[in-house]
Amino acid sequence: MVDTVKRFGATTALDGLTMEVAQGEIHGFLGPNGAGKSTAIRVLLGLLRPDSGSARLLGGDPWSDAPRLHSRLAYVPGDVALWPGLTGGEVIDLLGRLRGGLDERRRGELLDRFDLDPTKKGSTYSKGNRQKVALVAALASDVELLLLDEPTSGLDPLMEAEFRAVIATERDRGRTALLSSHILSEVEHVCDRVSIIRDGRVVESGTLAQLRHLTRTQVSAELAAPVPDQLRALPGLHDVVIEENRIQCQVDDPALSDLLARLSAVGVVSLTSHPPTLEELFLRHYGPGDATSDPSPR
Amino acid sequence: MTGRLTGLGALVRLGLRRNRWSYLAWVLGLGVVAPATATAYETIIDPANADVLIATMTANPTMRAMLGPPFDLSTPGGFTVWRVGTFIVTMAGLMALLGVIRSTRAEEEEGRIELVRSGVVGRDAPLLAGSLVALAACGALGLLLTVSMTAVGTPMVGSLAFGLGTALVGSVFVGVGAVTAQLSATARGARALALWVLAAAYVLRALADGAAEDSAIRTWAWLSPVQWMAFVQPYAGERWAVLLLPAVLTVALLALAVALEGRRDHGSGLRATRAGRERGGPGLGSPLGLAWRLHRGSLLGWTVGMVLFGLAMGSLSTSFGDMLSEAPVLEDIFRRMGGGTEQLTDAFFVAILGIVAVLMGVLAVLVFQRLATEERRGHAELVLATSATRRGLLGSHALLAAVVPVVLLTLVGALLAAAYARSTGDWSQLGRVAGAALALAPGGLLVLGLAVLLHGWVPRFAWLVWVVVGWSLFMIWVGATLGLPEWLTRLTPWAPLPQLPVDAMSWPPVLGLLAAAAVLGAVGSVGYTRRDIT
Ligand SMILES: Nc1ncnc2c1ncn2[C@@H]1O[C@H](COP(=O)(O)OP(=O)(O)OP(=O)(O)O)[C@@H](O)[C@H]1O
Ligand SMILES: [Mg+2]
Repeated sequence: MVDTVKRFGATTALDGLTMEVAQGEIHGFLGPNGAGKSTAIRVLLGLLRPDSGSARLLGGDPWSDAPRLHSRLAYVPGDVALWPGLTGGEVIDLLGRLRGGLDERRRGELLDRFDLDPTKKGSTYSKGNRQKVALVAALASDVELLLLDEPTSGLDPLMEAEFRAVIATERDRGRTALLSSHILSEVEHVCDRVSIIRDGRVVESGTLAQLRHLTRTQVSAELAAPVPDQLRALPGLHDVVIEENRIQCQVDDPALSDLLARLSAVGVVSLTSHPPTLEELFLRHYGPGDATSDPSPR
Repeated sequence: MTGRLTGLGALVRLGLRRNRWSYLAWVLGLGVVAPATATAYETIIDPANADVLIATMTANPTMRAMLGPPFDLSTPGGFTVWRVGTFIVTMAGLMALLGVIRSTRAEEEEGRIELVRSGVVGRDAPLLAGSLVALAACGALGLLLTVSMTAVGTPMVGSLAFGLGTALVGSVFVGVGAVTAQLSATARGARALALWVLAAAYVLRALADGAAEDSAIRTWAWLSPVQWMAFVQPYAGERWAVLLLPAVLTVALLALAVALEGRRDHGSGLRATRAGRERGGPGLGSPLGLAWRLHRGSLLGWTVGMVLFGLAMGSLSTSFGDMLSEAPVLEDIFRRMGGGTEQLTDAFFVAILGIVAVLMGVLAVLVFQRLATEERRGHAELVLATSATRRGLLGSHALLAAVVPVVLLTLVGALLAAAYARSTGDWSQLGRVAGAALALAPGGLLVLGLAVLLHGWVPRFAWLVWVVVGWSLFMIWVGATLGLPEWLTRLTPWAPLPQLPVDAMSWPPVLGLLAAAAVLGAVGSVGYTRRDIT
């Protein structure tokens, strides 16, 4: 997509979005609520027509070549709405046939892996199970490209792990995927490259190694004695805040063991660590000023 | 009990706010019909030969079947109750059941009641709030009728009976809607059930009123709530005790609805949903297959309903001979007008087919607008992300919307003539009346074309098509009595078409409307391939 703009009335959902997903890669698409992730995917699906800019998909035009291109891709929407009167199995078969056929063996295998009962009516599935129906329908077809809008929302941790494993095998089979998410750690596990989008613009894009600075761990600890001041100078530590016995900082992954060794030398009373949330990232990297600005008119 | 009703007041206010415009439109629309008819009394019933006119109308089984039992047509009030009363009452029932289902089951289905229930709200409050708002709308309609009929000079006592009767019969259908909203897990299902009850009540009283004077069938009318307002006999020696029937039934139905709601889980109907098929059947592999699957249940319901309606109305057509032989004065009049039983029967067919044709237009729009629901719910997105084309998706719904109503219309035509054909032994009548029905089909197709056009280019204005349909229905049912100028009453898609057994066939309007429908549909489908699907 190059310089794509999409407006809904007064709202600008995509504001000059430029990004590229190479063939054979699993591309993570990160952004806070309302950033324009779903809108971008809908433009790629030819459901929305961009106001300006251009988009190419599998060598074709996503708007005018939609039906032809769609036989080579599968889509899982962010909010899966199943027909209340159709069973999960019927929906999987319907979507597969509309796409031009599905792989029977994989269908059965995926139903097993995701532990999904295909005989239930659409209205009786839980959110996670609706998501699974759409995932099975998408993954059971032999397609080149997967467009997945928050594919793991609603899945329990066990199923999320299963999903990651499936995506990993898909990558090995040479498929391309674009998957959106709010959660950095989620895309970290499965993606080769990541684009971060905010207010309809890509603000950061690259391989995971290039974005390593985004994956620092946030550490806060309380020690038995005052924190030695020379910790500030330790390589790989950022944004260090020291107050008497307490320390807060962000740590590059390679520096973690060194830091922990030094902390335990003093004596640790309590310690918490977590990966930075997306919001923290945005606050830190792109300024707090417009992190709270809501692009929607109301 | 108080705990179970906590939050009722707030929910009623919310319901009033959310539905005020739709209820206001219903109440005003229905409320003006009665005083307008009363005002036009002198122009309809020419005082010079009022007796003959009234005798004709009273004895005519078609008019009785369609309008209800005439009690006293010699005053504007009594005439109005007969001429438009049953229509108003039926429409009040429709307003009530649609309204109550919209604020209960539909809200539950969309997940909004769940939000409400998580607040401080008693168990019965959402259901009763929806019912109370609908009851209030019925009450407002009754009040408007009483005041406006008194204002145009009819006796106040009669007006009060008219208003109360209408409000209470409407209330019965608040109860019906509240009960069906508990039985079915979907708003569509609940509406279908409640509409069946309303249609059955209407047809039951039509059969009873159309039956011969001494027939036992006449008393069946007491079983139909739609008839109870007429049985109060406004302006014709009011029988107030009859008002107890709808009042008691309303309370009973609402109590039943509350009891039923207590026995089911949130979000489900009364029946547990069964497991379904594990695999999609062979038909479920194209947009058309999907559309058929989505529509087949309700289309089957419509088919059964229209078959029953056709047979029931058809059975009335054979009583014309009896009627004429019983009333020599009438036979004389019809002789002079240049016909006999035959002509009377044809006029009856024309009258019924005129209504059925518009009704099939309603069906066409309902079927087609399912596509809008598919888009709103995100189902269309799933389909359009596959190799299915937009034209294919639009076309599959439009195709069903075009074909099924036309087939049903023709079928009703044939069935209408069945009883008459059997009694005369002239089976060619079947084809003749079926053909007459088919000649009216382009009107519905034109409306469908308009629906496609709007959906393709400006889906926000899709409701405009309901204005056209509503206007046509209104004009065909009561338009003639309002004394409106003829060009206005003929401003419907069906008016230019030849009304066959009576008129001669004329191809230009039929072909013209078909061509117009095709053009609208084609232009609409171009729009659909160019707009965003959101
Ligand atoms: N059909 C629409 N009409 C009007 N505004 C819309 C429409 N669709 C999206 N928007 C607006 O466009 C912006 C981007 O929305 P989008 O759904 O693409 O965000 P998202 O990144 O997918 O968010 P989330 O993480 O919540 O799914 C939002 O401000 C949203 O309100
Ligand atoms: Mg989204």
